[in-house]
Amino acid sequence: MAALRRLIGFVPGMVQCARQGAGLHRAAIAVPLMNGLLSRNLTTSAENKPTVRPVNPLVQKTLRDFGNYIGECLPKFVQKVQVTTGDELEVLIHPDGVLPVLTFLRDHTNAQFTNFIDVCGVDMPTRECRFEVVYNLLSLRYNSRIRVKTYTDELTPIDSCSDIYKGAIWFEREIWDMYGVFFSNHPDLRRILTDYGFEGHPFRKDFPLTGYIEMRYDDEVKRVVAEPVEFTQEFRKFEYSTPWEMFPAYNQKAQEAAEAAPEEKGEGEKK
Amino acid sequence: MASRLIRQSQGATKIVKQILSTDKAEARRRVLNLYKAWYRQIPYVVLNYEIPGVTVKDGRVKLREMFMKNKHVTDLRAIDFLVIRGQMELVETVNIWKQKNHIMTWFKDTWNPKPADFLSKFYEGN
Repeated sequence: MAALRRLIGFVPGMVQCARQGAGLHRAAIAVPLMNGLLSRNLTTSAENKPTVRPVNPLVQKTLRDFGNYIGECLPKFVQKVQVTTGDELEVLIHPDGVLPVLTFLRDHTNAQFTNFIDVCGVDMPTRECRFEVVYNLLSLRYNSRIRVKTYTDELTPIDSCSDIYKGAIWFEREIWDMYGVFFSNHPDLRRILTDYGFEGHPFRKDFPLTGYIEMRYDDEVKRVVAEPVEFTQEFRKFEYSTPWEMFPAYNQKAQEAAEAAPEEKGEGEKK
Repeated sequence: MASRLIRQSQGATKIVKQILSTDKAEARRRVLNLYKAWYRQIPYVVLNYEIPGVTVKDGRVKLREMFMKNKHVTDLRAIDFLVIRGQMELVETVNIWKQKNHIMTWFKDTWNPKPADFLSKFYEGN
């Protein structure tokens, strides 16, 4: 336990190391760029490199260790632990385990995720349990963040975590309003963003994009009226993405081709 | 609290998590209670919102119509959801968070009937 604590406590140092490393890296690239003014061929390697944040393997390992530790402490509820985009720890839990897992993460000495950042919903209509509920937490003590994910469907309630984190009350109201996920034992569950009398949950993927109700001010009755609306033409979807390539540095095909054919590159350098 | 939850989740026979009601009689009682609460509130709603042309009787007819619209729902959890939504609507109405137009939306008094014969369809532009 002490070893783990030391590991987690080490994270800020790691981040600093990473920053320094990035700085060094940048300095190293800057030199060939300067030389590139003299001979253009040297710059090609720097330009082909995609501008992706470098992953620190030490930070990653620390997070993975801590995730495994959570999984060992709460084997009943934790279904999967993963590290995404390099350094974001995600814990996927069973919906029954929201309260125990969040209590653990808040109160355990090695976690201390006392800051509640937010909770939000995700709608995946193809899944059996179509809604995902995502909790984002921050530990100021260890300067680290964690994401707890769980799932539910339209009719299954989830335990409200407003007893653990007071800040969750409005966020859970928002999820109820936008997705229709019901939170049991919530102190004040009602709409928060939509207008009174609004029907449906706008963030669901099956919520109609055009709508069937039109609201307008009626001068005869001196109030806003809601009336059914019917389009003579079918609703059209427009393709907004440009046909031209905007970021050639990200082009996967070009990268693969470059990796597959190193001889050509060598020839280019010779020229 | 956590230990209670763990004990709950250990039950092997548990199939679905209930929202409020455990059996049909309880769900029925909840629906009737909500209906009665609305029924008793309607005179005050008509008074508070100063709705023109809507009497208490009209309101009760509308209430019955809206409850009967969900007559076909048999799933207990779906019924509970409808009751919860109805309760939220009632609270919004009682506290006058709603405005007159939100109440009048239910009565659809400005809706024009759809054109039936050829000539009126032509005038509508369809």
